Amino acid sequence: MIVGFENIGLTYEDGSEVLRSVNFALRDGEFRFLTGPSGAGKTSFLKLIYLAHRPSRGRLTLFGEEVTDAPREALPAIRRRIGVVFQEFRLLDHLTAFENVALPMRIAGVNQAHYREDVRELLNWVGLGDRMEARPQTLSGGEKQRVALARALVSKPDLILADEPTGNVDPEMGEKIMKLFVELNRLGAAVVIATHDLHLVKALGKQSMRLENGALTQAETAARSEAWRANA
Amino acid sequence: MSRRRKRSPGAQSQPPGVAPIGGAGPAGPLPRAVSPGGPKPDDLAVAEKAAPEAGHDFIAAFRRALSSASPLLPEGGATGAPMMAVIAVMSALAALALAGMLIIAIATDRWTDDLAESMTVQVKGVSASEIEERTEAALAVLAEVDGLTDIRVRTPEEAAALLRPWLGDAAGAYLSIPALIDLKADARGREALPAIRANLAAISPGVTIDDHGKWNASLTRAARRGQLLSLGVFVLITGAACAIAAFAARAGLAANADVIAILHLVGATDDFIAEEVQRRFFVICLRGSLIGVLVAAAAMFMLTLGAQVGGAESYFLPTFETSPVTFAPMTLVPITICLATSLTARLTVLRSLKEAL
Repeated sequence: MIVGFENIGLTYEDGSEVLRSVNFALRDGEFRFLTGPSGAGKTSFLKLIYLAHRPSRGRLTLFGEEVTDAPREALPAIRRRIGVVFQEFRLLDHLTAFENVALPMRIAGVNQAHYREDVRELLNWVGLGDRMEARPQTLSGGEKQRVALARALVSKPDLILADEPTGNVDPEMGEKIMKLFVELNRLGAAVVIATHDLHLVKALGKQSMRLENGALTQAETAARSEAWRANA
Repeated sequence: MSRRRKRSPGAQSQPPGVAPIGGAGPAGPLPRAVSPGGPKPDDLAVAEKAAPEAGHDFIAAFRRALSSASPLLPEGGATGAPMMAVIAVMSALAALALAGMLIIAIATDRWTDDLAESMTVQVKGVSASEIEERTEAALAVLAEVDGLTDIRVRTPEEAAALLRPWLGDAAGAYLSIPALIDLKADARGREALPAIRANLAAISPGVTIDDHGKWNASLTRAARRGQLLSLGVFVLITGAACAIAAFAARAGLAANADVIAILHLVGATDDFIAEEVQRRFFVICLRGSLIGVLVAAAAMFMLTLGAQVGGAESYFLPTFETSPVTFAPMTLVPITICLATSLTARLTVLRSLKEAL
């Protein structure tokens, strides 16, 4: 199992409870959409998976290991197996598009000679071959989105998370990005995408789950609990 | 837990074509970068770390400092030009303190060596003839002692010249100026000092010998205190530079909190971030301290030119000279400042990141 939530709850320091007793299981190679109204807790849900937050309650497993109270030193190795496309892109403004995409490789300590061509190829592929030296502040929202996407993919993650990946691009581009996720999933990566775009969700025909007021809908929770027990 | 990506049952050996996202180009295969089968970043990094050239973290940070890769933390702010200016000033002060310590040491050693060997016999009398008579007797006493060399009677003009700064040109006209006999004494001569003193006193109580021991001891003590003071100033400045580095590192972390968060989220370890900060400080402090040392060297050269002494003062006071030897310790300043500040910044960042957990 790639991701496991068992009665996960998340309460922020200000006392607001954003997730309540969430049960969720994502197996190898699964693709899941996460939908729900604004403020339902979708971003917090993803943050728990990429370990930006720790759960307040419950048990969290990633890649088959419990990480609920994993020591700080253990987090980087786990995060390197996850590619994240952030809602607000989170690119480094002082680096070029090429350097932003290469960031995970550089952080992993890989020599530039080993990844230079891969990064160029990836940027060409997302249609930014002529913008490699551009800095984020000179890129449009859609271009930033594609740089963020390339950065999330460059390290060949086992799990891809995307928070509203089509929120800043036109419908045609959004469809292409979604098809890319489907393709990457077909090649073996597990994928979780938080989105408002129900049209795309329906068009792709993938499983989805809905968050409302910090809880998965009853049907989804029951189904996931069943999957959890099957994997336990 | 396997790191190898599993393929879906229906996956083909070659991925099918997917149109480039940019849209304009023809359909093409997925980039090699995201296709399965190739090594992952951690696999590559492990292979590279196993290579013989892999070194200690600190050395790795030093190597990265010399690399052309863009810094992962934005330049500017507290860790930019202001930091470099502060380090330049502190390095200049540290270099001056260090050079001052060495110049004092060299001058004091040379001066005390000269003074330790020399003695002066003073012959007083009420008239020139009496002084001349006692001088002859004193020379006879000195001639009998082994270990005394370069015995020379100063001429009345030379003796008057020594008094001129205090009494003016007319001193010789109304004073009976004592005769002065300079001599050098080796170890045997110094051992015989009590006997010499007694024999000279036997000529007259006005015939005395001075081995400059009192001067020598007090000035040596003062010089050593000056050296300790210089060393203390150097240590204090280095400590202050470290404190500034710690403050700047904390300010830099606070100013770049978003960048740090992104680095963490894409897999950076605390050590990696600390090395980035260390690299930044090393480069900035190297630039600043080199500027500071050059300024200090120029100032030192100008100061010593102006501090050259001559005439009677050269007999009583040590002379300060600059040479390659006096500039050599200045090279320690960039090394010390760079190592101390970059290491401080690294430790500060590591501690701050752990506290922020």
